[in-house]
Amino acid sequence: MNSPSKELSGPLPTKVRWVLTAAFAGLLALMLIAGLHALRLLSQMHEQEDQARRNFAERTQLLSGICVSIQTYSETLQLYALSPDSGAEDTLDDLRHLSAQIRSDFGSFVTGRGEEPPPLKAMEDLFARQQQLFDSMLTWPFEERRRRAPQFITSEFRPLQVRVLQCSNTLRAWNVQQLQATDQAMLVQFRDLQARLTRSLLIALGSGLALVLASMVYILRLERQTRTRYEELVRSRGELERLSASLVDAQESERRSISRELHDEVGQSLGALLVDFGRLSSAIASNPVDAKEQVEKMKAVAERTVQAVRNISLLLRPSMLDDLGLVAALEWQGREVSRHSEIEVEVDSKNVSEDLPDEYKVCIYRLVQEALNNAVRHSGAKNARVWVEQSANRISVTVSDDGHGFHPQRSRGLGILGMEERVKRLGGSLVIDSTPGQGTTLKAELPLPAHAETAS
Amino acid sequence: MRKIRVLLADDHNLIRAGLRLVAEQEPDLMVVGEAANGRQAVSRAESLRPDVVVMDIGMPDLNGIEASRQIRERLPETQVVMLSMHSDEGYVLRALKAGARAYLLKDSAEADLARAIRAAFEGKSFFSPAVGKVLLEDYMRKLQRSGAEDPYEQLSPREREVLQLVAEGKSSKEIANLLSLSVYTVETHRAKIMQKLNLRGIAELILYAVRKGIIA
Repeated sequence: MNSPSKELSGPLPTKVRWVLTAAFAGLLALMLIAGLHALRLLSQMHEQEDQARRNFAERTQLLSGICVSIQTYSETLQLYALSPDSGAEDTLDDLRHLSAQIRSDFGSFVTGRGEEPPPLKAMEDLFARQQQLFDSMLTWPFEERRRRAPQFITSEFRPLQVRVLQCSNTLRAWNVQQLQATDQAMLVQFRDLQARLTRSLLIALGSGLALVLASMVYILRLERQTRTRYEELVRSRGELERLSASLVDAQESERRSISRELHDEVGQSLGALLVDFGRLSSAIASNPVDAKEQVEKMKAVAERTVQAVRNISLLLRPSMLDDLGLVAALEWQGREVSRHSEIEVEVDSKNVSEDLPDEYKVCIYRLVQEALNNAVRHSGAKNARVWVEQSANRISVTVSDDGHGFHPQRSRGLGILGMEERVKRLGGSLVIDSTPGQGTTLKAELPLPAHAETAS
Repeated sequence: MRKIRVLLADDHNLIRAGLRLVAEQEPDLMVVGEAANGRQAVSRAESLRPDVVVMDIGMPDLNGIEASRQIRERLPETQVVMLSMHSDEGYVLRALKAGARAYLLKDSAEADLARAIRAAFEGKSFFSPAVGKVLLEDYMRKLQRSGAEDPYEQLSPREREVLQLVAEGKSSKEIANLLSLSVYTVETHRAKIMQKLNLRGIAELILYAVRKGIIA
């Protein structure tokens, strides 16, 4: 039975599970935020573009309106200036009306569209000069006006008019430029958005891949753990089955050997004695000398039988435990092993109370018996030492030898499993310390029940 | 000559009957009572005041060793012959410590019972021959395996003499008279012997003597 490695006995790494879950949630959140952000940006851009187109159309319309109005104004003005009538108050009203209209148009071109475009200012100035000229012309007396007007218009008015129209062309071009600039900005913004989206996508893809990889590793580890655990379970179950089967076997073979011993040794001897008794009763009168000899033989048979019964009885329950207590029984066992093997056993103890509970006495006795048996059979040791020490709440048993040792992890016989079971039943622990060539030390610690320490 | 009054204590009726038969064949022995367990043995001994109690070592309800200790405590005049199946020194030593004078194996009880009872009655030791043999074997094997020297060799002739007399149950005063020495000298010898043989107490000394075949 190998002791399970640390990795397997630990709980499943729930921390990793939480980390993975959090990472997945984070990734999803990141993708969601990036998508929403892109959508908002797109709709903003769309709105901006709409606005730019609307502005352009509006300005184009206004500009053509202004041009037409200025044209009309100019023509009306010339008409008025060259008219023979001194009055023509209607025309003058029309002119005033038009000029107000044009000024308001200029105003609305400016308002709500940020700064005033440079060509507009020039155009406005030119128009203002035209008006000024006209106003100065109005101050002239009628006759003078009739005389000078045609010449004045040609030399002063017309060039201004041409320049105003030129200005309007420039303004138109500016307007188109404005639209183009907006388009350009939109394009830049769009590219920016595209780059940003690509970046988010790459990040999401990368972290997704990393997550998948981490999950795979985690799953693989779980699988491996499950497999090892399963194998461990199968192994320990097999071991258990082997143990219980062997226990049954051991019990059966012990019974068989006791039965054989009872039958072969005791039964046969008693049977032989019975026959001898029969012969003795007939021989006792006729041949007393033979009879005496026969009695001696019968006595030897009876003694052997007694010895056999004693051995069986000792095997089943060492009477020393009851007669003399644990320490004496262990000493006796040590001497028995010394007598019948090559190992000299030394038994020492400290503070061991004589009235230990019976299950403790039996457990320790059997433990020492098994350990010494193993030492005799496998270790090749010359010396062994049994040390029993009792303290306030525990009793410890150590059996050590100077033999050639073994690998406790690799070769664990049933004897050791049996010892472990015995010790476990009393809530104790068993440690076997051995390396090939270094001898073996077996140490058992048994916690004592509370009443046992007061009994000592 | 008055008879030696004997109490038989064994939990097996057959054994008790057998012992009684053997004892009653001897003219100088008289079985005054029987007991079937340790507790009974103590109370019978107190009421009958026998000279010798023949005590089985393993009995239910107070074993032979504890019963012997109690009897020797309460009735110093009563000697104990311990009856056992085991020739192991753990038993012998504990029997001696409990105050038994003689140690008899059940195997040879029939042959040696009368001798053991008489020896105990006279305050001498007696051990079944097989016991000495086993003890000696254990002792020699241990010496041989450990390669140590037998400390007996370190004893002077006079010390060996004293050792034997002590083991036979003689007091320092008796030994002093026997060897024409002062009691003080005998005590010094005794202490030296104990020290040289690394022994604690008279029981271990007797055991050692049995082991070495100095007494039987």
